[in-house]
Amino acid sequence: MAEREPVIGIDLGTTNSVVAFMQDGTPTVIRNRASTNLTPSVVALSKTGKMLVGQIAKRQAITNATDTVYAAKRLIGRKFSAPQTQDGVKSLSYQVSAGQHDDIRIQLGDKHYSVPEISAMVLRELKLDAEAFFGKPVRKAVITVPAYFNDGQRQATKDAGRIAGLEVLRIINEPTAAALAYGFGKSVNGKIAVFDLGGGTFDVSVLDVSSGVFDVIATGGDTYLGGEDFDNRLIEWLVFDFAKENGIDLRKDRMALQRLKDSSEKAKIELSSAKEAQINLPFISSPPGGGAALHLQKTLTREKFEELCGDLIARTITICEQVLNDAKVKSTDLKEMILVGGMTRVPKVVEAVKQFFRRDPCKGVHPDEVVALGAAVQADALTSADSEVVLLDVTPQSLGVAVAGGYVRRLIPRNTTVPTSVTEIFNTSKDEQTTVKIMVLQGEAEVAHQNELLGEFILTGLRSARRGEVEIDVTFEINSEGIVSVSARDRETGLQQSIQVTASGGLTEEELKRIMEEQADLLLEARTGEELQSRKLELKGLMKEVEDLMPELDKATQGSEFGQEAISKAKAALENARRAFESPVLSKVTESMDVLTRTVSLFKGVLERIK
Amino acid sequence: MPEAEKVDIPEERQREILAIEAKLGANHFEVLGVPAGASKEDVRDAFHALSRRFHPDRFHGKELGSFRARIDTIFKRLVEANNVLTDPDKRQAYLDANPFVRAAIRAATGSTPAHQPEAPRSAEDDARDAERRARLSRHPYLARSSKVFEQLHKARAHIAKGEFSHAFTMLNLAAQIDPQNAEVKALLPEVRKKAELLRSETDYKRALTALEQGNDDLALQALRAAVNASASNAQAALKAAQLLEQRGGDVKEISSFAQKAVDAAPTNVEARVLLGRMLEQGGMKALAKKHFEEAARLGPDHPEVKKHVKKRWPF
Repeated sequence: MAEREPVIGIDLGTTNSVVAFMQDGTPTVIRNRASTNLTPSVVALSKTGKMLVGQIAKRQAITNATDTVYAAKRLIGRKFSAPQTQDGVKSLSYQVSAGQHDDIRIQLGDKHYSVPEISAMVLRELKLDAEAFFGKPVRKAVITVPAYFNDGQRQATKDAGRIAGLEVLRIINEPTAAALAYGFGKSVNGKIAVFDLGGGTFDVSVLDVSSGVFDVIATGGDTYLGGEDFDNRLIEWLVFDFAKENGIDLRKDRMALQRLKDSSEKAKIELSSAKEAQINLPFISSPPGGGAALHLQKTLTREKFEELCGDLIARTITICEQVLNDAKVKSTDLKEMILVGGMTRVPKVVEAVKQFFRRDPCKGVHPDEVVALGAAVQADALTSADSEVVLLDVTPQSLGVAVAGGYVRRLIPRNTTVPTSVTEIFNTSKDEQTTVKIMVLQGEAEVAHQNELLGEFILTGLRSARRGEVEIDVTFEINSEGIVSVSARDRETGLQQSIQVTASGGLTEEELKRIMEEQADLLLEARTGEELQSRKLELKGLMKEVEDLMPELDKATQGSEFGQEAISKAKAALENARRAFESPVLSKVTESMDVLTRTVSLFKGVLERIK
Repeated sequence: MPEAEKVDIPEERQREILAIEAKLGANHFEVLGVPAGASKEDVRDAFHALSRRFHPDRFHGKELGSFRARIDTIFKRLVEANNVLTDPDKRQAYLDANPFVRAAIRAATGSTPAHQPEAPRSAEDDARDAERRARLSRHPYLARSSKVFEQLHKARAHIAKGEFSHAFTMLNLAAQIDPQNAEVKALLPEVRKKAELLRSETDYKRALTALEQGNDDLALQALRAAVNASASNAQAALKAAQLLEQRGGDVKEISSFAQKAVDAAPTNVEARVLLGRMLEQGGMKALAKKHFEEAARLGPDHPEVKKHVKKRWPF
């Protein structure tokens, strides 16, 4: 048998991404070149003009706050003017502006990138990891998105895949992927629920599983509810209290904001196991009129954390209720309940879910990896001839057309199994109307303008008649690839107009082409060996920087206890770095860089405040 | 058959697709291949089983030609049938709008779920009814419907006695008078099927007699007639396949008979094994393997299954 071309499954997450493949019938995570399973979805432009992706980008976020992009997934496929974008942009430490089509552009250095371009950098990193693992090129992938992503967000994710040089076999829903991974190779029969609270998004799905058939019955969620929102609550709390005491808004200082974000996330994670967490941010700010630098020191108890985020958790439960309703399922009918996403480690979340579903969640599912594993299962099912797995997925949001009076007429309700098509007859709404405009909308709002506009077109040349006399067939179709197309036909003349909805997250076809051409040269970059060399050079640079800063710091702290301790720690780190420099293991080098970067940022912070 | 176009689907599967496509116009129950009035759970199981064969993803990345549209249409139709029949409100609305489906349920189960069995009738009631019918039938406006009713009545009597070919004739007459009559429409396919099966069984018996007398040619002829008469006579199809195999017949014809036997009786191990063997000879290894595995699951003790399993996995 000829060796099959490798196909991969990618979980492109808000905070972390994972890549997996099917190894001899078992879905398996592919470790990245720094030998960890999770790759942070962070992209940064270093001071030296180098593009950094993953752990290395995350590590330098504090010292390079304005040129480090995180949580791009919360922006993908959205309009700049959308309220959620405007809301979210406030707490970002990087610069975001509006593009030509009201799309979002992210500034790195002096260049403006579209969101799919940024996501593509993460995807390319994962692709390279997979290629390093297989030792040959990887071209095909299944990528997951939150179930509640709309068509624009899905198309934008697909674009990101194309920019990264991947043929995206299919975009599948994260909770569905989790169910696939959970049910794969087991003889599961019955209804299961998946509760997926990730870094940026929340989804819940109910599936009916019977020997290899995964039939999604209902799905729901919120694409702006996740770990980031919990972090933001903590940041707000810290900032508010600090402002009360010192009259300074820390959010105005991008570096301070990045440090706050960092420590909020750490505190949140700590509280999953500990009862309280210390937040310690020395030299966070200096008073505008001069004077001693200010420190931020606080203790966060689990109770306080739960109080701050209680309403977010309550929102997830409301959505669960709605989905069970849609599925016409009672919690007691469920056979299993699966928790997915890092946020399901928060004890209060687990407690709320347990209480609502009245059962213990399934153990033995890795919340961070299960989605990528499911994507690998589907990638394999699509490319191998004898797969036993069939996924019957649904459209998460309703599709319809705008009708007179500013309302929506739904043709395809949410939770309809795809592929599907529906035809309905419409009439003209005015006397002598010879033209109709078909506006294709996605969403649940009754009022047209509160839904997402997927596309629009005009049908002309209608017979001039009194209102209601001309009949028009409108057909909505979603094919097996998830592409939406809409056509309108004058029943009398047979005149027809149609569109294929290819809203591409603000990127025009030409732009996409240009980006791909531009990046054609970049694709051959980064081989493991080369990478080790370049990282070693960076490490050397960092070592030099620490060595240079040490005497300065020594002088500045004037032999204080804090200064002495910091210097002895830095010396140990330097010693460690010298050893790592000699080692051929990439992960050792990057770990050491991690330590040194933190030392540098600490030193610089201290010096800046003292001077 | 669109043999001319290049399609990356085994011929067997192409036939399957064309077969199901041909019956998409039928009612929701027939489309899913479940008895009229089947429960929500049975409908769901049938839908899942069909999805496993006809979901467009099963054909992902293949050269499909005209089959792409066919497969999409088939799956959409399956989804529609499943959606309607698994939702109580939609099912009710569908039955209200399509009385012939309701009639089919009555024919299949003996009563509609909504109807309660009536109190036993007295001889007096019957006499009164007969008198009323006779009076009404003389009325010119009602002549037509009363004739239909009469035929229907006779047909029902034949059905009760198991004389399906007579019943079929009566129903056909009724259908000629009033093609729109819901009950006739509902009964006709069912009765036709039964009549065909009956005829097929007669042919099958004829074949067995011929075999006893050692007249293989006559037997084969009778078996072919039996299979042609009814697709649901699994015995006849199996026998035909076996007889042909003994006589070293054409592999394609044998597998076609064996396939029919498997279709009509999916749990028959004998038929599966034979089909598997023929497919293997015909070079369709993957399909053959599927049938052997199914046979092994159905009857692990069957001697030939054992042999085959051993042959395929020597360790």
